[in-house]
Amino acid sequence: MDTLANLALGFGVALSPFTLMLAVLGCVLGTIIGALPGLGPSNGVAILIPLAFTLGLDATSALVLMTSVYYGAMYGGRISSILLNIPGDEPALMTTLDGYPMAKQGRAGDALVLSGVASFAGGLLATIGLIIMAPLLARVAYLFGPAEYFALYLLAFCTLGGMASNNQAKSALAACIGLGIAMIGLDNTTGMPRFTYGNLHLMDGVDFLVAIVGLFAVAEVFFFIESHGKDSAIGVKLDKITIPIRDIGRSTVTMLRASLIGFVAGVLPGAGASLGSFLAYMGEKTVARDKDTFGTGNPKGIAAPEAGNNAAAGGALVPMLTLGVPGSGTTAVLLALLMTLNITPGPLLFTERPEVVWGLIASLLIANVVLLILNVPLVKIFVKVLMVPPWVLLPGVTMISFVGIYSLSGSYFDLLLMVGFGVLGYFLRKMDVPTVPIILGILLGNAMEDSLRRAMVISSGDWTFLFSSPIAIGLWIAAFAGFIAPIFLRPFLKKPQRITD
Amino acid sequence: MASDRILGLVVIIVALAYVASAFQIQASFLSDPVGSRTFPILLGCVVILCGVSMILRPDPEPDWPAASRFIQLGIATLVMIGYAYSLKPLGFLLPTAAAAGILSYQIGQRAGPAILTGIGLSGGLFILFKYVLGLGLFAVPKGLFG
Amino acid sequence: MHFSSLSRLMAGAAVALTLGTAASATECIAPANPGGGWDFTCRQIGKILYDIGAVDQPVQVTNMAGAGGGLAFAYVVNERNDDPDLIVAASSATTTRLAQNAYGGATADQVRFVGAIGADPGVIVVAADSEFQTLEDLVEAIKADPGSVAFAGGSAAGGFDHMKPLQVLKAGGFDDIRAIKYIGVDGGADAITQTVGGFTQAMTGDMSEVVGFVKSGEVRVLAVLTEERVPGFEDIPTAVEQGYDVVAVNWRGLYVPKDITDEQFSAWGEKLQMVADSAEWQEAMAANGLAPFTKVGDDFQSWIDGVIAQTVDLSKEIGVIQ
Repeated sequence: MDTLANLALGFGVALSPFTLMLAVLGCVLGTIIGALPGLGPSNGVAILIPLAFTLGLDATSALVLMTSVYYGAMYGGRISSILLNIPGDEPALMTTLDGYPMAKQGRAGDALVLSGVASFAGGLLATIGLIIMAPLLARVAYLFGPAEYFALYLLAFCTLGGMASNNQAKSALAACIGLGIAMIGLDNTTGMPRFTYGNLHLMDGVDFLVAIVGLFAVAEVFFFIESHGKDSAIGVKLDKITIPIRDIGRSTVTMLRASLIGFVAGVLPGAGASLGSFLAYMGEKTVARDKDTFGTGNPKGIAAPEAGNNAAAGGALVPMLTLGVPGSGTTAVLLALLMTLNITPGPLLFTERPEVVWGLIASLLIANVVLLILNVPLVKIFVKVLMVPPWVLLPGVTMISFVGIYSLSGSYFDLLLMVGFGVLGYFLRKMDVPTVPIILGILLGNAMEDSLRRAMVISSGDWTFLFSSPIAIGLWIAAFAGFIAPIFLRPFLKKPQRITD
Repeated sequence: MASDRILGLVVIIVALAYVASAFQIQASFLSDPVGSRTFPILLGCVVILCGVSMILRPDPEPDWPAASRFIQLGIATLVMIGYAYSLKPLGFLLPTAAAAGILSYQIGQRAGPAILTGIGLSGGLFILFKYVLGLGLFAVPKGLFG
Repeated sequence: MHFSSLSRLMAGAAVALTLGTAASATECIAPANPGGGWDFTCRQIGKILYDIGAVDQPVQVTNMAGAGGGLAFAYVVNERNDDPDLIVAASSATTTRLAQNAYGGATADQVRFVGAIGADPGVIVVAADSEFQTLEDLVEAIKADPGSVAFAGGSAAGGFDHMKPLQVLKAGGFDDIRAIKYIGVDGGADAITQTVGGFTQAMTGDMSEVVGFVKSGEVRVLAVLTEERVPGFEDIPTAVEQGYDVVAVNWRGLYVPKDITDEQFSAWGEKLQMVADSAEWQEAMAANGLAPFTKVGDDFQSWIDGVIAQTVDLSKEIGVIQ
């Protein structure tokens, strides 16, 4: 009952014609930002914070606007993933794997509607989780120390073993490239630079956005120049846009599972939203009966990462609100916004400023509904992107990528790095080396190494510390039993049936 | 076949350089049992194994484009590098129009539409970024007006 | 003739444009991604500057992350060295890194430090159920067995958070400071989480990072590293009164390009003073656990020089610099 009363309070704060208008505005802007390569939820929210001040908004209205932008960007990221094979930002990365093949089959509309519904399911379930369990879940962060985080990251990398690739050596190579790039920059444990060769631009390491945009957007442009736009989704004849009820029905369970995984990943401050979509996809691929069709346009391969990343976005708000620990780049920006409004998230936020917390939760629900309503009809407009001739679309994508990356640090260095990643991405993809593990390596490499080294500092070099808690042991078992063992057992368990691909 | 073997070889060389570089990392005096070299060195070793595996068991040859297409790709790369360097000194509009125009011509092979694309994109995107999203871009070279 | 009239026209246009931009928007560079202390400084000071009418347009905040502020520093020195409309957020992290030569050879005298208008007092914190009741308990435990206590802090090794316990232990007569265990995590809140979770025994950070956890009773502050007790937190003892002569505050302030005129420089000093005196800033400080700490102008510059010299000595001792 208490919760309902609180929720009523929240809606009382957040439901006015003005705030609803802000929600719609935020959703539209967020969707656009999310779809543009290089501009993701975190820099999208950062760019638009001044807008909140210029409009002279009070705390709640500013929050409504910014959460709408946040959720909008999470929705929008999938659009360019599906239509162009270019993820707008890192949470949308996994959606390319099955979304783009579907678009090539002329089912872009279905993929977009399905991903919209999955996003809605993930966002809604996460918000409900936030409502019911936030104060309780805050304790979860206390259970995760360096040893547990190391095991978690290890699990994430082990799932790569199940990644679609014909050549495991190439998957491993890709992951190592990412990890190797992650080593560049200041070493957290010693405070000394590594692999920077005196270059100031490399001191903070390589921004994963530069790598994503380079490996996907720029490399895609190279492919278009090579093929003059053949073998892409552009110009593919589209079926009439309907609501793919059958696909949605078949992936209901998928969405539930993925939302749970995403939410849990989001709640863990060190894991964050990017792990959410990845683990949701890989988890689904492991349990699905039709796992062989993942990567070729399986609707479940869209539903899982989209539900996962939106659930993770909601989950990431738990440590942000209750502990002040931002679990992802975007929550870090929202944290900054709250602090500018003189609201300090922490253990007392729920009791001291209930109107802020519940106003925020209400605005999440509102944003989610607005996005679903906006997104389904808008699919008709989104797919029009595929009608744009490639000689307009691709240069446009390139220029947007440049400006997006340029806005990160305002230096040409990141742009050159991005072009470099583009060339690398072209050659690697030509040679069948998967690029997703590279991004994963860059995203998690530092965190993984740091947690291992922190664990060793704490235990004075005692390796058994890594297996000292039930959670850590559980994660190690999951990593080995779920992903490493099957690689070696595969020849014995399964008869080789396919010689194609 | 050959491509994979070459890639394997390149990968091994890069990995060796990486490991050599890792040995140059300054050691710390602080309490740090693992050290800052262990992880990079370990990575280098895994990469060498991957490289060896690619040399021993290469995949079928990918279908590389003809040499003329490679020249096209080289031009595109140079255009992008030039664009990166010119964005700051020359402002947004001119370099964007030029770069977008050339890329458009490379994909579409028609000059007229390419010129229009370049002009349209540079103007349209400028409005989008400057006025809708509020990024601090400069339309024209700042130096032009002292 | 034709040519000169054209150039005169151009000059006229240039003057008009410069005049037009004289009232142009102030830009505040936060040398980090959104969400950190520098971002907070820019956004808060920018907002107040506009609200109290010290500037006539909203201040545009630019995030320029890279090299722990080094990229922004180099950018200001090399490209905006005489821009009177530019302010840059700074804090103890800026001077620590300058002292440790982490900005690629840049030095503190390449910019002008306007002032600080608030400081986040350094704190040493343990979990509420910790066996350490006083700072002395903690120091003695480390003296007895340096491996028994690990500190968590929000900066990388050698950073400002790392320096605080080192200074305290040196003041307590423990000289083998390299043996002190420290893990640098992602920000103060994360450091607290690790400490409350029992993975590390103590947390070193800023007051603002622990306020919520102190109020909720999950942590105990053993000492605050200021000269006097902090208003609003009178029951927290200082390290000084417990016999450890250490003062470490994370000041929040601004620097500006070096080549602006003295008038422009003192104008920024006055504006910053106006922000410091505003009710809005007092409120923001109270809400974020900042203590009053206003130093503007030459007074501030000499204080900065002292802090940098001290950091250089300590950094050499732990081997971060040679």
